[in-house]
Amino acid sequence: MASVQIDLGDIQGDILRAYGNDYDNTTYAFVKIECPPEQARAWFHGVVDHVTTAETWPPGEKPLTTLNVAVTAPGLRALGVSEDVVGSFSREFRAGMSSRSELLGDVGPSDPNSWEPGLGTGDAHVLLTINAKQAADHQRALGKMKEAMDAVGGLRIVYQEDTELLPGAREHFGYSDGFAQPAIEGASDDKARGGGVPLKDGKWRALAAGEFILGYPDEDTRVDPKKRLPNAPAAPLGRSGTYMVWRKLYQDIALWRRVMRDAAKLYEGGDEHLLSAKVVGRWTNGAPLVKYPDEEPRGYDPKTAEDVNDFRYDGDVDGMRCPLGAHIRRSNPRDALAAVAGPKGVIGFDGHLSFRHRMIRRGMPYGRVLPEGVTEDDGVDRGLVFVSFQGSISRQFEGVQVQWLNAGNIFGLGHDKDFLLGDPHGTGKMTIQGKPPFFLAPQEVFVRTRGGEYLFVPGMTALAALADGTAG
Amino acid sequence: MSIQTPAPAPITATGTQPRNHDGQAIAITVFSTIKLWGRVFLPVLFFVTRRIPKLTGTLRQLSFIHFARWTVIGKLPYNGPPQKKGRFRYPHMYFESNFNGGWEEYIDAFSHILTDGMTAFWGSSYGFPKPLPTAPFKRYIQDNETEADHYYCAYPEATSTMIQRSLELDKKLVALKRDARRMDPDAFAAAYRRFLTDAQNAL
Repeated sequence: MASVQIDLGDIQGDILRAYGNDYDNTTYAFVKIECPPEQARAWFHGVVDHVTTAETWPPGEKPLTTLNVAVTAPGLRALGVSEDVVGSFSREFRAGMSSRSELLGDVGPSDPNSWEPGLGTGDAHVLLTINAKQAADHQRALGKMKEAMDAVGGLRIVYQEDTELLPGAREHFGYSDGFAQPAIEGASDDKARGGGVPLKDGKWRALAAGEFILGYPDEDTRVDPKKRLPNAPAAPLGRSGTYMVWRKLYQDIALWRRVMRDAAKLYEGGDEHLLSAKVVGRWTNGAPLVKYPDEEPRGYDPKTAEDVNDFRYDGDVDGMRCPLGAHIRRSNPRDALAAVAGPKGVIGFDGHLSFRHRMIRRGMPYGRVLPEGVTEDDGVDRGLVFVSFQGSISRQFEGVQVQWLNAGNIFGLGHDKDFLLGDPHGTGKMTIQGKPPFFLAPQEVFVRTRGGEYLFVPGMTALAALADGTAG
Repeated sequence: MSIQTPAPAPITATGTQPRNHDGQAIAITVFSTIKLWGRVFLPVLFFVTRRIPKLTGTLRQLSFIHFARWTVIGKLPYNGPPQKKGRFRYPHMYFESNFNGGWEEYIDAFSHILTDGMTAFWGSSYGFPKPLPTAPFKRYIQDNETEADHYYCAYPEATSTMIQRSLELDKKLVALKRDARRMDPDAFAAAYRRFLTDAQNAL
């Protein structure tokens, strides 16, 4: 496919390229519109003027704060968008995340009935995401946001999550996170090795931009002689936009530590560090187990290490290095699906079964760190705000959640679900392949969904149309 | 530029109609009308694929697909009045398959991995859009799919992969039990570890 020119000025920031770890503070504020659409659009106009785009910043000129906007289906209606136009959005977006709870495994303690107030109820209309380098900038930006809302009236924050980068850019389980991102044609072609589609002969290629940004050719367009574009909302909303998944995931760190500590007593000379790495598929410093199966490499920096994401599973079909059910192998199986070792080597399908289920992840941890060594819960709310961007929520986010994390069959793992995120369903366990294997049990509920929304992140032209009331 | 017909979004957790699944298994039933040349071509294709099992090896490797069956039907069995006797004006392709997992993933496997096979089997059907791109192919299958009136699965908790592996495990377990009678505790410990190593993907 001819190289694609992406109109960065029309796309919101932090999607194709991450803002980076310079921004320590992130606030997610969900606003409910309780005023008539015209009044709401007056406020929205002011917001849109300050939105950060995907245009690259000159060196050393990163802004102190950034602002981005996303809307839910009820939010589109509250801004006065017609039912016809709302109907052009995908079915799952219109239905909302809470209506998909059974499909997503949001059951038991993760049931939407026990979510944080304001989430999953139809009250969250507009999501404002504010990033700031420093706490003072952060407070100033939040102040401005509230001032603008008060000036118009009829607008209320129904849920707000303030997050802060953890020391060493880790998440609460203690792992470096976020470097396995899809390589996108026209934006991150240089990350194709490991981030793109694994091809035969060890080559990789970047994914079509339309897998993530609507209005651009996607992987289906690539093989379509008519070069049709992926399904998208009615113009101008469909151009340069993307669907966003937002989930607040509580992590029970004390419970995780206790389960790992107790299980390790029976495992490989009590090696708790190795056992935890087997569950995740990486060492805490981010080094992938499939490359470093025996011990954590010293001085490994995931930001600079070339092999942090450049790997396949064809040399580890039996999971002896990285278990078949390891978290990173389930959530991004690369060439692993349905691959079998035969007498003439591995017969697999390269990336053919996985390449249409990739997503861009931009999560942030929330809550204070549980001090090292503490194994009793201190009652602090902590976890991860999971954010993903994709062209199709059902194919990409839900596909991964339902078929790969909450089911084991495609990996030959029976009823086993992802050990970190899956619902333990009474008999949950994880097989750590080995000679002999180790059966990690019991599985507990380490992660609980505390709320979430399906959103749409419009492009800049689309935002202006929403603000002007000309989106249809 | 034009926009593709949207691919169908999941209707249930499995992506298909409620009566098409029982337990872990999903049924798919598709009827399509065959062009006249298909009447000559398809019997030859069926004959060749039956004689050369290698041609369908990939399909067999995808263990989440239990089976896939293509049949050409020229008439319906006569069940008495008021049904009229006689043949169809055009022969029809009757496709049936069972699988585990999601409908989308299932069709994706057909599109991206079994591309040539799909063209061979369905190419002579009216309206067939080619297996790639996937969106029109999915639309075609969905338009021609018939929801089952009744679908029954003998082992609703299990997938075919689980059943196959359980059968393999059973053989190994029976052998271990048989041999264990003659073992002292040390020999049993070693044999048990060997068994776990050998059977780990079925446990």
